Amino acid sequence: MPKKEAPAPAATEIVPRERALREQIEKIEQESGAKAIAVALRDAESGLELHYHGDRWFHAASTIKVPILLGAFAAINRGELLPHSRVHVRNRFLSMVESIPFRVESGRDANSAVHNAIGKMMRVDELAYHMITTSSNLATNLLLGVIGPDAVNQTLKELHVDQGIEIRRGVEDELAFEKGISNMVTADGLLRILVMLSEGKAFSPALSRRMMDILHGQEFNQGIPARLPKGTRVAHKTGEISTVAHDAGVVYLSKRKPYVLVILTEWDPAASGRSRTIAAISHTIYEYLTQGPGDE
Amino acid sequence: MSEPARFVETSGVNDSPNFPLRVVDGLTLPPEYRKALRPGEEWKDATGFPRQLPRYFYEVPSWDSAMKIELASHFLLWEFIQVDVREAPPLRTFPRYVPCAITLLAVCLERFRDAVGTLVHISANGGYRSPSHRFSKNATPHAWGTAANIYRIGDTYLDNRSAIERFSLIARETLPGIWTRPYGAPTGFAEDHLHLDLGYVLSVPRDVKS
Repeated sequence: MPKKEAPAPAATEIVPRERALREQIEKIEQESGAKAIAVALRDAESGLELHYHGDRWFHAASTIKVPILLGAFAAINRGELLPHSRVHVRNRFLSMVESIPFRVESGRDANSAVHNAIGKMMRVDELAYHMITTSSNLATNLLLGVIGPDAVNQTLKELHVDQGIEIRRGVEDELAFEKGISNMVTADGLLRILVMLSEGKAFSPALSRRMMDILHGQEFNQGIPARLPKGTRVAHKTGEISTVAHDAGVVYLSKRKPYVLVILTEWDPAASGRSRTIAAISHTIYEYLTQGPGDE
Repeated sequence: MSEPARFVETSGVNDSPNFPLRVVDGLTLPPEYRKALRPGEEWKDATGFPRQLPRYFYEVPSWDSAMKIELASHFLLWEFIQVDVREAPPLRTFPRYVPCAITLLAVCLERFRDAVGTLVHISANGGYRSPSHRFSKNATPHAWGTAANIYRIGDTYLDNRSAIERFSLIARETLPGIWTRPYGAPTGFAEDHLHLDLGYVLSVPRDVKS
């Protein structure tokens, strides 16, 4: 194509490498047996963005807790809640389907702290912490019960990060799940939220930092962090149900700016190797970003 | 409101060293409290029948005092006034106001505790909550200070039919006239706590002249 403008020098170096990165991810995807994989990346150091099936929709699983965290802090920002506002811990919720009551199974929450507080009260910031760090479903539904899904969606709209995120209900609403009513995300959608958080642009630098602090407390580290160098800090949120496994977070390596990485995967229920696949993609991206052009 | 709240002096109450709470006529409270407490107003129950809300309240000056004041041998005031973010904002800070009938509920719970022989735990939002509380859809005895939601008795969580019905029966046998919510999921039933109440009891301290 002789009429096409010659690419800028930097691009001539990046584009073939980016193609190589895509090919590596494709290879991991083919070898993994996953039904689908999506990756979204934004590197604050190089400015590089990668969108590998970034607009494909997935069941959100527990990654939906990141937008819910944003919704809770929006209520704090508006003054409707305080971090130390108290919420009644009650394990009874109404399904999206005919408002039929349901409970969160205590065995499905990794942390018993919230279940142990049934009948008592917990602070909003405590619930947010448990919702993210140990992915407490009970904490999630309690917070969502206070702020409401509509308010969370409104917050996403106001912050211009609603594309690629659909919050329709709380978690463990099995009746809704059976009816196909689920929370959905795309990799690009989660990427936009995490970029905003990492850049301190969600409400205020102070509130953004508080949310990032919570994400830094994540206790499930078999995904994005698993094969990164020791000492790497990752503020992230995992999500897993029988058919999907995700991880989305901000990776802080020493002596460089952070990068935001979202990896969404879909599987047959009997498939194995989910965390291993996410860790492999994360490692591939780490190597790509930390390798100079001359290292190829 | 320019006129300061007028407190009804009830010597019998104020002279008690164990119960140093003032009685307040809700109609004399500042507007934000009157709006939230709706003293003396009518409020319809779930059947559409009008009920008259309490007008006289004990003024609770601080959480510290609520932690110390005994309403009965095994029940402190704080246990009856735990409310979360769903309560109207003025009623989440001190001073707080609780209907005078709360003492009757405490005496009933003490008797119930004697019958079950162990600790009786009132849930958050399960003691007094105002008519402005987001859980208060229709007139509920919780807004009269005469209802309690009990989520745990001793080590037993009341989150299943067996436990709820067992303790419900004990309550009805022990407390003449008490009403307990039947076990079940629909509105008007309870499946994760035992609700008991004395009905829409109004308590007017004897020194009140109105």
